[in-house]
Amino acid sequence: MNSPSLLSSINPSTEPDTLDSIERSEIDASTRIPVLLFFGSAIFWLLVGSSLGLLAAWKMTNPGLLDSFGWLTFGRIRPAHLNLVAYGWSAPAAIGVGLWLTARLCRVPLLHSKLLISAAIMWNLGILVGLCGILIGDGRSIEWLEFPAYSTPILFVSFACIGIWTIIMFRFRKPGHIYVSQWYLFAAFLWFPWLYATANILLVWQPVQGPAQGAINWWYAHNVLGLWYTPIGLAAAYYFIPKVIGRPIHSYYLSILGFWSLALFYSWNGMHHLIGGPFPAWMVSASVVASIMMFIPVITTAINHHMTMRGHFEALQWSPTLRFIVFGAVSYTVVSLQGSSMAIPALNTITHFTDYTVGHAHLGLYAFFTMIMFGSMYYIVPRLVGWEWPSATLIRWHFWLSAVGILLMVSALTIGGLLQGLALYDVASTFRSSFEFAHPFRILRGISGFILLSGQIIFAYLFVQMLLKLGSPKQGPALFVKPSENPNDSVAI
Amino acid sequence: MTAGILLLVFGLIFLSGSALLAIYWAAKSGQFSNLSEGAATIFDEDEPVGKATDRFPVKNSQ
Repeated sequence: MNSPSLLSSINPSTEPDTLDSIERSEIDASTRIPVLLFFGSAIFWLLVGSSLGLLAAWKMTNPGLLDSFGWLTFGRIRPAHLNLVAYGWSAPAAIGVGLWLTARLCRVPLLHSKLLISAAIMWNLGILVGLCGILIGDGRSIEWLEFPAYSTPILFVSFACIGIWTIIMFRFRKPGHIYVSQWYLFAAFLWFPWLYATANILLVWQPVQGPAQGAINWWYAHNVLGLWYTPIGLAAAYYFIPKVIGRPIHSYYLSILGFWSLALFYSWNGMHHLIGGPFPAWMVSASVVASIMMFIPVITTAINHHMTMRGHFEALQWSPTLRFIVFGAVSYTVVSLQGSSMAIPALNTITHFTDYTVGHAHLGLYAFFTMIMFGSMYYIVPRLVGWEWPSATLIRWHFWLSAVGILLMVSALTIGGLLQGLALYDVASTFRSSFEFAHPFRILRGISGFILLSGQIIFAYLFVQMLLKLGSPKQGPALFVKPSENPNDSVAI
Repeated sequence: MTAGILLLVFGLIFLSGSALLAIYWAAKSGQFSNLSEGAATIFDEDEPVGKATDRFPVKNSQ
């Protein structure tokens, strides 16, 4: 408390901890409408996007499934699935978490909420137009940018508003130290509109010719993951892990090092998708080197999160937030090391164009990013609506269905992808046999999709209950059970 | 093709360059001068170090 707040001026005898608590709840309350709007629409699109993904997965094993509907052909629902989970679910979830964290870390109530509310409405409009565009056959053949050209400007304007808002908040923050999460958030909110605009200009409005198209496509697609979803996921992990267990980050120095090395190396990574492609070899080599350099931010983050948690692992029993976020943080380490290894040409030769890559993508976007978003929402939503999550049992179901579902999906795709890749690489083997090797694993993947979707339905049900304040009222303003109460009462796995 | 590659290289340099500029500003404005204090900025007197802030909800019988 550097300067006396209004409350302490009126009543100087107010305890400082009450002041902190009032300041914090004022800040939380100021974020309520925009954050809940982004969360609500994110969860809606998650259900739609996952259902389309599930249908696409089953079409891989049963090609005749629903083939009489033109708008449900694989070539349309697969990009619809990707774009909905990327821009419909992940981006709004990230924006919601980012808005809340930004307000808390800047220690000022959220400014210009009308700007954010209109951005949220525009964003959802853009997603709806884009989804319909893909389903009626207007999709573009540019991976990660399949939304038709008439929906992207809506998305860009919406996000530009949020980018400007970030600058305003940063400008009006309370003086003092900039916490590591704030660096991640600020960078992500400024990088994404820049990336999105560049990719759309160079690929849609004034398309560059030849191999440069592929390069820009993958430069964009990879940076969306690394410079947009990853920073937001890590910002949440760097805030919630220390905050939930009540212990500062083990080595703050390492966390800073991790951020700056990510910022410097990541944008060079994308071209490793073009190993073996018709493309200047030096650029691919530079990209492979940058991919290996990613070991630095990844290992520093992994060490840091593990050392912060050391001695506090029992907290995973009682905190829903921590359970999801630690699962996500561990997955971040695994998916990043796997990603770096996939940039090594010897391994890439086998795994390129197989289900192995699909497994890697889901490990990143679901096991890492989505799990961290779920965990963050479990912390944030009660503080916005002033209501307790109605059922610990359902939260546990959500966790275990998500964890088991994603582990089953990733292992099935990884093993199936390796068998498929080895068969493709073997000159004595037919192309058909590569499909036969992958087939049983694709069925498993389809089953894992059901498990994941049922977890999401439980989460959506809980979220609606929170919004409507259903269930039995909990006592007092405490949002979660006070740690001073016997935690063993609530322990159950 | 050449123009595209040039634009791409420009983009790469811009992204890394913006990071370098930011790191310069951060160092100059003293962001890296007291790291242990920085790590504690997310705690305050109401939610101090040592206080856990999240629980599974329990049925409240009162």
